[in-house]
Parts: sequence; C-alpha cells; structure tokens
Amino acid sequence: MDGRGILQGLAVTLKHFIASYVDDFKRKNRYFSEEGVKYRSSPEVEGIFTIQYPEERRLLHENFRYIPFLVYDEGENGQQDIRCTACGICAKVCPAQCIWIVRAKDPNTGRPVSKPAEFYIDTFLCMNCGLCAEFCPFDAIIMDHDYEVAMYERADSVFDLKRLLKSAAYYQDIRPTQYAEKAAEREAKAKAKAARRGARK
Amino acid sequence: MKRPSRDELQKPGYEIPDELKGSVVVTTLNRLYNWGRRNSVWPMMFGLACCAIEMIATAASRYDLARFGMEVMRPSPRQSDVMIVSGTVTKRMAPLIVRLYNQMPMPKYVIAMGACASGGGPFKEGYNVVSGVDKLIPVDVYIPGCPPTPEALLFGLMKLQQKIERQSFKEVYTKPDYIPEPVLGPDLMDPRDYPKIREYTQKKLQELQQQAAQAAQG
Repeated sequence: MDGRGILQGLAVTLKHFIASYVDDFKRKNRYFSEEGVKYRSSPEVEGIFTIQYPEERRLLHENFRYIPFLVYDEGENGQQDIRCTACGICAKVCPAQCIWIVRAKDPNTGRPVSKPAEFYIDTFLCMNCGLCAEFCPFDAIIMDHDYEVAMYERADSVFDLKRLLKSAAYYQDIRPTQYAEKAAEREAKAKAKAARRGARK
Repeated sequence: MKRPSRDELQKPGYEIPDELKGSVVVTTLNRLYNWGRRNSVWPMMFGLACCAIEMIATAASRYDLARFGMEVMRPSPRQSDVMIVSGTVTKRMAPLIVRLYNQMPMPKYVIAMGACASGGGPFKEGYNVVSGVDKLIPVDVYIPGCPPTPEALLFGLMKLQQKIERQSFKEVYTKPDYIPEPVLGPDLMDPRDYPKIREYTQKKLQELQQQAAQAAQG
C-alpha cells in the first residue's frame, strides 16, 4: 500500500547481489567447474545462479531425452557392429512416424539380412518421447543427451545412419545405470538360454 | 608477408598474423559493424505454444539471455531483429505471423524453434497446422527438439550470431519482397457454408442408405 512491497522486493534482489560476492570469496571453483554448477543448481545457493551455457553446462539427469541415436559395439578388428536388426518395432511405435528403415540385403544371395542398410530419423518430426528406446528389444536405439543440433538448412534435418551411429562407450558414458542394468539383463537371458539348451541335450 | 587484398580483408575468416596480434587494431568496417549487430539481437516477445515456455526459461535468470545482448524482448515487431517462432504454427495464426514478419525492419532473422515450427512436428499432417514456418517466411536457423531445452535455443542463437558475422552489411539492408499474407486454405471449412455442407452430406447419406436397402432386397 505504502510502497513496502517494492522495498521488500528490492531487498531480496540486493541480498542476492551481495550474496553472490560473498559466495565468490567463500567458495573456490564457483564457476566453470562441475561442483560449481552442482552448487549453483542446488536450493542452498544464495547468490547468482546463472549457468553460463557455452562455457559450462547444466548437469543433465541420466534419463534426459533428446533426438535418439543408434548404438554400435566396437568389434575386434575395429569394425562397427550395429546392434540394430532392422526389425522395425521402433518405426511402428513411433507416434510421429519419424523413423524410416531399409533392411540390408546379402550381396551374394539377395536375401534380406537382419541389419539396417539405411536408417533415417526426421528430427523435425521427432518429439523426443523415448518410446522407440523403450520398445527396442536389442537396446540399439537410445535417447541422446546431445542437444546441440541446430541447423541452417532444412535438408539437414533428416539424420541418416552415419549421423545417428554412436559407440556403446558413449552410451555407457551418458547413461551408466541404464547401461549396467541392460547389460545384466542380457547376460541373464543368455545364461537362461544356455541352461535350457543344456537341459534339452 | 604477402599483403592481403582488400577483398580478402573484408572476409571475416581472414586471420590476423601472430606478430600483429595485441599490437595493432586491425579490423574492417564490416567486422566492427557485425560485431555490434550480433551482440544486440533483440527478439520479438511472441510465443505460440509449449516451446514459448522454454523460451521464457531461457530469458530468465538461470540461462540469462542478457549475456548475449538479447534480453530486450520487444513487444513490437518494429523494434525487433529476430523472430523466434516458438511453437506450432496453425493456419489461423499463419496470416498474423506473416504480417508481423512484414512489419519487422531490415535486417531481420527468423528462428524456427522446435519440431513444430521447423517442420510441423507430430502434427505435420494435421488439417489445421502449417508443416513448417518456412513454407511462409524464410528461416535462418532451425532448432529441432520437442521442446528444445534452453541450452539448445541458446546454441541456435549462437549459430544465428555466427551467421550474422559472416554477412556483409552492404547486403543486409536490401529490402525483401513483400510476402503476401496467406488466406485460409480450402481444407478449412467456411462457417457460412455449413448449411450447404449439411445438405450435401445428408443427401449422400440417403443415397448410400437407399443403395444398401436395394442391395439387401436384391
């Protein structure tokens, strides 16, 4: 009524302004370091909490989702073993229908092989829902953490196989818990299969 | 040292040799001008859908657009440099977007933020959605994502800054062709035609029913 509200608001701003300088003296590594970003993202922070994006990044949650990518395992000779088997489940569950897969063919016999020859994701359709990653039985398509995908030309919007492939090491790096869980799951499955085979014999 | 030609110096890619760094201010008018231009890109205060929430978050203190000289969200197209089309462009909104674009002064830039504004997104084949704002106005930077995180938007804005840096200020003030405002297409029904449409569908329905009855008899 008499302007006390404005003064209270200004006091809050002033408090944060002073606190950010106090913080600067108190804490080392307040800027451009992981612990600094962690502290400034926490509710205890008193002073300034701006994340200065190109220099420092917000710590992403493990389940953060952006445009999906395809996982390949490093082979013994350094070749890329694509996990995808071109089964097409991801293309079927995709609500926006942004995935297009062409199955590879054996060059000698002409029969289809369970590998993708082409794999396209239209990023202008993808809505980062994560259904493809959830439904994939081979753990081959994973939601990415890389959000730096802005482009100048519309023609660049369709990601092809070459753009989508990323190593399993990268997958483990961005989603360690999920990676470990899925790896354990697959191992248990393989063991059960071997046991069943042994029983049959 | 070979003396660079004037054209070479005009290009922003020209690197200053090491022995001159820190001792002489070497710049071209173009560089100086674009340095000023790219650090004061004012966006238009204008949001269409859920991406607008991320745009607001980008302007707020956690990400702080002011670090890039973009904190002044202008509520008028006549004072803004960049139009961030943040969200689904419906056919109802299309004429207004084009009108706002026409009202912006040169040089003007457009950022299509999010999947919907870039290419229609999940609503691409919807009856009421323009599949990409680039069908109406020229777009400089596309940012995919649904919605893009504030960092993704900042990355797109930085890409725009790089684009501005490469331009020549002699060319950016050329007036573009006036873009005519789109009118609602034939796939949207005119409410004035509703009685006619109703009549037509009922007639068709009756015909179908008669055919079905005849088929049942015969």
